[in-house]
Amino acid sequence: MRLYDQIFNVVKKFKELFSPGPVTNADVSGSITAEIFIIVSIVIASLLLRHVSILLAGLVTLILAIVLITNIPLIPKFKLEQEDSLEKMLFYAVLVLGLIVIFLYWGGNIV
Amino acid sequence: MNELIPLMVIVPMMAALLLSAFSKFNKVIKCLALVVGICLPIIPLASNYGLHFFGGYQPIMDNVTNVIYHPAITYSFDFMQQIFIAMIGLLTFLVIFIYLTKYKKASGSYLFLLFMGTAAVTALILTDDIFHMFVFFEILALAQVGIVAASSIDYSYEMALKYMILGAIGSPMMLLGIGFLLAMTGTVNVTDIVSIIRGGLLDVTSPVFLLSLGLIFFGWLYASGLPPFHTIKSGIYSKAEPHGAALLQSFTVISMISIVLIMFRIYSTLPIFEVLVVFFSVVAMILGVSMALTQTDFRRMIGFLAVGELGFIGLGIGLGTQYALTAGLFQALNEIVITALLFIGFGAIVHATNEVDTRKLGGLLAYHPKVGIMLLAGGLAMAGVPPLSGFQSKLMLVQASLSCGYPELSILAIMVSIATFVVFVKTFYSMFLSPKPHDLEVVDNEVPKAMVFAMAVLLIVIIALGIFPDVVTSGISNYVGGLLP
Repeated sequence: MRLYDQIFNVVKKFKELFSPGPVTNADVSGSITAEIFIIVSIVIASLLLRHVSILLAGLVTLILAIVLITNIPLIPKFKLEQEDSLEKMLFYAVLVLGLIVIFLYWGGNIV
Repeated sequence: MNELIPLMVIVPMMAALLLSAFSKFNKVIKCLALVVGICLPIIPLASNYGLHFFGGYQPIMDNVTNVIYHPAITYSFDFMQQIFIAMIGLLTFLVIFIYLTKYKKASGSYLFLLFMGTAAVTALILTDDIFHMFVFFEILALAQVGIVAASSIDYSYEMALKYMILGAIGSPMMLLGIGFLLAMTGTVNVTDIVSIIRGGLLDVTSPVFLLSLGLIFFGWLYASGLPPFHTIKSGIYSKAEPHGAALLQSFTVISMISIVLIMFRIYSTLPIFEVLVVFFSVVAMILGVSMALTQTDFRRMIGFLAVGELGFIGLGIGLGTQYALTAGLFQALNEIVITALLFIGFGAIVHATNEVDTRKLGGLLAYHPKVGIMLLAGGLAMAGVPPLSGFQSKLMLVQASLSCGYPELSILAIMVSIATFVVFVKTFYSMFLSPKPHDLEVVDNEVPKAMVFAMAVLLIVIIALGIFPDVVTSGISNYVGGLLP
């Protein structure tokens, strides 16, 4: 029942997601689809780590699955981080630049 | 007939300058824009394949090492360039046609931006010179900012300014990366750089070489709108006029494939390059489609879907085999056409209703059946439903990832296609099939004929490519074969 309650809370949370206006069935089903899609796709993508190490892939997939499911609803959080705020866009742009350069500079000749 | 190769860039660029200079003469600029618009898809189809050396500087042979050097800025024209330049020419013509029939008084400055953008992407796909690529990448970014800022939609200026500020991070990084590459190889010609690397004259594990990859890669992320730039990219699509957005997304796709193919030639010796491309493509697919599922503004929804589709192109390039690269480039061609159809179609709905919120729309199939059916076909093509073109390219991508030993990527690609289908069915139902809200006024019952014509032309291309994909894929496959080491 806990998981059921959790999913029910997700639906309630979606109401805050939509700007003023009616929330239709289509909107809620779209958001639930997005929620399931994001969890499943991240878990499947993490399986790609098996090309580095099977043990690592197993561990990361398991941990990600648990973290993602226990943290639903994810979509409002994702949406909040991907709004049109210049500060957030700049933050993520600089963060990704830093990560790419670090990853290549120290790990580029390993992979 | 190799003289036609530089004309593919010079003609739209000269047209842009003349349209801007004579903007006071309405009839003159309308006629000029239409004539040049018609010429744009014809020039690449009439031209022969080959190379063009600017300034007439022929390649020089080093008699000691037997290596050929290219002192001139070189344009390389092959089947791949031909098909993409012809397609962008066709799209520019359709957009110009829609614009000229929509407004009685044409703006020379706006037409300048449209033609300058077309000239820039054409140069990007033709060039074999990495600095030349950067110059046109900058011109393209400014043209895109101008097209968004010129739109009459609220907050378009703000979005254009944000795109420019983010470009102020992306572009200098790319230039710095090119600078590092020049410092190490002493040349900016891509063919020369590749022969230096393949000849073992450069240590590819050198930190400076790796850093140049990181910096150029970051600039590419900005140009192609992959994460972290997916939000701003979908934002500028939603704030541009619909016909402008149709052209903007094609600019994005062409600049994405032009830059990534140059990077592929230079950096494909490093396996990490392919890992990076696949990683960002997968993130774009996941974020693009999941964000599209939650949108209520249909322009923004198509913007996010377009970003998600870019992930498919990147996936093909990142897998790096001949079949995968062909699939990626075919997907790019399909995306240009399909997304343009969707932007123009949804633009027609905005024109008819002055509404962009799917929750406030409904029952439009009774008012605009032609637009509805063509939009439905476009959406099904984007989701990869047979026998439309999107199905062929997505099927090729799924097969390519399976044959490369990555079934996870095949599953992801299928999941993203299904989610795209859900997005489209949900939106189509809300706008066209659900009961019409009482307060919805269909302002203009007539959708502009130019828009319906443009959609019909694009739909014919989608169906033709879906039934006869070999017309394009065999030529692209031959071109890709020449790129691989």
